[in-house]
Amino acid sequence: MAVLDPHHLQATTGAWRQLRGDRWALMGAALVAGFVLLAVLAPLLTALSHTDPYTYDIEALDAAGVPMGMFGGVSGAHWLGVEPQTGRDLFAILVYGARTSLLVGLGATAVSVVAGTVVGVVAGYTGGFADMLLSRFTDLMLAFPSLIFMIALGAIVPSSFPKALFIVLVIGAFGWPSVARVVRGLTLTLRTRDFVLAARAIGAPTSRILRAEIWPNLASSVTVLATMAVPGAITAEAALSFLGIGVTPPTPSWGRTIANAVSWIQVDPWYLLAPGAALFLLTLGFNMLGDGLRDAYDPRVSGSRG
Amino acid sequence: MIRFLVLRTAGIIGVLLAVTAATYVIFYVFPADPARMACGKPCTPESLAQAREFLGVDQPLWVQYLEFLKGLVAGRTFGDGGGAIVCAAPCLGYSVQHHQPVTTLIAQTFPVTVSIAAGAAVLWLLTGVAAGTVSALRRGRLPDRAVMTTAMVGVSMPSYLVGLLAILFFGFTLDVVPVGSYVPLTENPVDWAFHLITPWCVLALLNAAIYARLTRSQLLETLGEDFVRTARAKGLRERTVVVRHALRTALVPVVTVFGLDLGALLGGAVITERVFSMYGLGALLIDAVGHTDLPVITGVTILAAAFVVVANLVVDLAYRALDPRV
Amino acid sequence: MRLRLGSALVALALTTTLAACGGANSTSGDVEGGQKGGTLTILTSSTSITLDPANSWNLAVTTLGLLDRRLTNWKVGTSGEAEVVPDLATDTGTPSENGKTWTYTLKDGIEFSDGTPITSKDVKYAIERTYAPALSEGIGYHRSLLAGSDGYQGPFDGKELDSIETPDDKTIVFHLNAPYGDWPWIVSTTSTAPVPAGKAPADTFGQKPVTSGPYAVESYTAGGDLVLVRNEHWDAETDSVRTAGPDKIVIRQGQDPAVEAQKLIADAPADQKTFGADFVPPAQLAQIQGKPDAKKRLVTSGPGALEYLALNTQSPKLKDVKVRQALNYAIDRKAYIVAAGGPVSADAASTLITPGIAGREDYELYDAGESGDVAKAKSLLASAGVKDLALTLIATNDATDVAKAEAIQQAYAKVGVKVTIKPLEQDAWTTTATGDDAGAYDLSLGSWQPDYPSAAGNIQPLFDSSQIGGGGYNISRYTSAAADELIKKALAETDEDAAGKLWAQADRTILGDAPVVPLIYTKNSFLHGSKVADFYIGSFPAYPVYTAVTLKP
Repeated sequence: MAVLDPHHLQATTGAWRQLRGDRWALMGAALVAGFVLLAVLAPLLTALSHTDPYTYDIEALDAAGVPMGMFGGVSGAHWLGVEPQTGRDLFAILVYGARTSLLVGLGATAVSVVAGTVVGVVAGYTGGFADMLLSRFTDLMLAFPSLIFMIALGAIVPSSFPKALFIVLVIGAFGWPSVARVVRGLTLTLRTRDFVLAARAIGAPTSRILRAEIWPNLASSVTVLATMAVPGAITAEAALSFLGIGVTPPTPSWGRTIANAVSWIQVDPWYLLAPGAALFLLTLGFNMLGDGLRDAYDPRVSGSRG
Repeated sequence: MIRFLVLRTAGIIGVLLAVTAATYVIFYVFPADPARMACGKPCTPESLAQAREFLGVDQPLWVQYLEFLKGLVAGRTFGDGGGAIVCAAPCLGYSVQHHQPVTTLIAQTFPVTVSIAAGAAVLWLLTGVAAGTVSALRRGRLPDRAVMTTAMVGVSMPSYLVGLLAILFFGFTLDVVPVGSYVPLTENPVDWAFHLITPWCVLALLNAAIYARLTRSQLLETLGEDFVRTARAKGLRERTVVVRHALRTALVPVVTVFGLDLGALLGGAVITERVFSMYGLGALLIDAVGHTDLPVITGVTILAAAFVVVANLVVDLAYRALDPRV
Repeated sequence: MRLRLGSALVALALTTTLAACGGANSTSGDVEGGQKGGTLTILTSSTSITLDPANSWNLAVTTLGLLDRRLTNWKVGTSGEAEVVPDLATDTGTPSENGKTWTYTLKDGIEFSDGTPITSKDVKYAIERTYAPALSEGIGYHRSLLAGSDGYQGPFDGKELDSIETPDDKTIVFHLNAPYGDWPWIVSTTSTAPVPAGKAPADTFGQKPVTSGPYAVESYTAGGDLVLVRNEHWDAETDSVRTAGPDKIVIRQGQDPAVEAQKLIADAPADQKTFGADFVPPAQLAQIQGKPDAKKRLVTSGPGALEYLALNTQSPKLKDVKVRQALNYAIDRKAYIVAAGGPVSADAASTLITPGIAGREDYELYDAGESGDVAKAKSLLASAGVKDLALTLIATNDATDVAKAEAIQQAYAKVGVKVTIKPLEQDAWTTTATGDDAGAYDLSLGSWQPDYPSAAGNIQPLFDSSQIGGGGYNISRYTSAAADELIKKALAETDEDAAGKLWAQADRTILGDAPVVPLIYTKNSFLHGSKVADFYIGSFPAYPVYTAVTLKP
């Protein structure tokens, strides 16, 4: 027997309507979709350009390693120019870099959101000793200077371990505590709501209450949390690559390209343009979408941006 | 209240012990050998063994950890006889890379980190709250849109890129700010501020965005609440209503986040200090990771963790004091 | 400008391993008379400077050369090879017993910065200190050479090292285990920099050391500034090596090398009396090409340190000499040079002994052309019966090093060899490459500079079988009885010409077994401000001579 909670169904449909009218959120969604498309179609796109992100093209460089020609070596062969010192194709690096960013961003978010939700729900719903233990553990994780540990762990992980997976796990591992906190708080309030109490009163099994009563009411918040966590994870990957401990070269990564490109800015500013803009736009896209989603589910502060 | 404080303090000590233990375990499995730094050139197996003994890293992990805890309380010496190195309590260890006790290193670098953080925090709190307030009061109109658009762009920019571009543009192209040096406050306050102005502005720009958004949403929420309506109904001036009643309540969560952010600043200092070539705690730490300087790593990590948990406690206390609803 | 995780690595590089013994005839720099006085600023990415000479890896011409004198020193000019010259001693040493005993006499009128005269006991005490566990970080070649030093733990508990005799305040006698022709070079390292006997505690002396050179330490902040002021007790009459131009020297640490180079390119009034201690990064080198003003202030060394690809001869995949020779033929030096910053930063290498070292013979054993001989490499691999070779390459985690590793990866892909790059932090790299586990890697990037200009320093540390694992730098893990024998003979030879011939023979013998692929001789470029004078790089090492720099008004 299901105890209906008409409230959350209403909220969801209302949110969709609101989201459809939110130009910012739609723009964000379009940006995200665009990059996803770029990442998915990367092999096809580079087949069209006859390039890959790995092959050196020293012929495209002068003796000092600077790309020859206008706009950082833009030509029929290299649509966005080439990398200084190696002559690798920047277009290929851009589209394959989108794969890295999205893969790590979404993967790490999935890890942190799943782990955070499980911990949060268990802590919030069970209460008592388990809650205290889990909450303290969450606090402990939040107290860790995470970037430092990511760097240190990056140095000790064996090379046989896939680096991309490692980055996903490590960003996820330091991302879940904040999710857990919010979810625990929400679960705590939900636990005392009438429809949950009613379900418990009639003896519904816990698993069923979690699935049928708690989760549907958490789902929207978790979606918002997830969307808002993605740009953080993408930025974190770029920052790690920027510090030289991201995915193993030569796997393309925007963060690494940006790190290299900044020092070339006065000689070859075009080198920085594409990866810098891409990272910014993808982060912006997720932020706008996440904002729109949050506004949609929380009508009190929405509608500001017409 | 006393029971609360005792419990929380015990909790803090527990958390710190757990952090130190975890740090120790993680770095113990580090493939690099901390004794190698102290070994010399050429590094023969004999001198390596000697260095290991000197640093105490030839002991089992748990012994090293206990020694560390002992040093924290009572101080310790490395090596023995006349050539020993004395590290007074609270001893966090001895850095081979710097040839100084970690406590001394922290004392030298801490002012740099605090200088960067404090100035930036003041700037971003003021601008963030002001912008957020304006945005909330002009909800949906031009100022709101402008602030929110700027904020959205701000939170989407990677801090290191903005920092590096700022250095290039203001430091080199325009040549209006100094680059890559730090002047202590005690030496010359004006120079101090002048050298810090770029990192302050960059950090403030990025963080103010978050505070503007937070202030705006909190204020909008509060303005809709009963006590504000009551205040308005009493015929108070709008200005009084906003400042005295609404803003004050709305700022409680902002202050909370601010407290936590301050506590977490050390982690963020890593990138900032590197970008701006200033040697604070963050730079010290990254350097130590690159050199397997275990004592510095554990020392700074503990300090960072301590900051976070203490900030948490302060925020909780402030929360209890400020918000009657809790 | 990439953020450098371990920017102090550059400091290590500066002071230790990676410098170069520059080409004798291609030194450069603008030597024009500056004058006495002024404040010189030196920018460096290093974040710690070791001020206790016992722990220092400094070359004779850099920071500690300003602070500390030694028994002998290097005469580094703009032409000719580096020479060993007297510093505190009156000559470079008198050997006896075929070089097993060396005697030195100190000059008159030498004083510490606190005004006390320097005696032979202070030199002895300084060397004894380097045996204390807390102070054994420095260059320690003397430690195993001095007789009866096994188990000696330093002078702090009253024990003396009997193989160093000081019959009077002016005389010091060293007794060695075995004849050693390069001893005059050994005593030019910081280990013989005197410290006041009995008054230099292990833990605090380095905070504010008593010095013997033209400068004394005013203040030092970790990662911040090291400020040096004149040592009034230093007498120029007794010192033929140091010019001591500036009144004050500020060494500013923790700089990003790219920002540092940009500062010097811009040459704003505040930065004109400044030079950079870091190599100018490739991007800024390219930037300078279009700026004649900055180009004038760029000083590039001759071909120096050898960079090579170590082939782990103990890896089962690389046991066959044919495979190693194939890798020598397959190398694309052109791509590697581009990754290393272009021809301004590197010359193609073919020998182990670096240009400018006495005894070097130029030859090319594996002619790979500019970009590799793919056909030859493939046929060698085929004749060795090797297919689908997959190798792990370790390199330090640094943008330039990774780019270099990628150039190698590319070149070997053309002959069907798959290379996986494993970037490591500097420290982890050292532990892996010099550790005891022979199976941890197949290939490694290596770079080597001797601590003093002698072919012994080029060959022995890298190819003697005693240097495998245990912290030794034989990272090819190369064992050859023939090579060991040659090295032993050359080390004991006191006649320089005869020794040179033996070293050249060792060079060819070793390369015949192809334990490494010689890649490039690096050339280091440095920038200085427009009011810095007498800024030059000598024949050895490929670093500016700090002790000669002066300022224009």
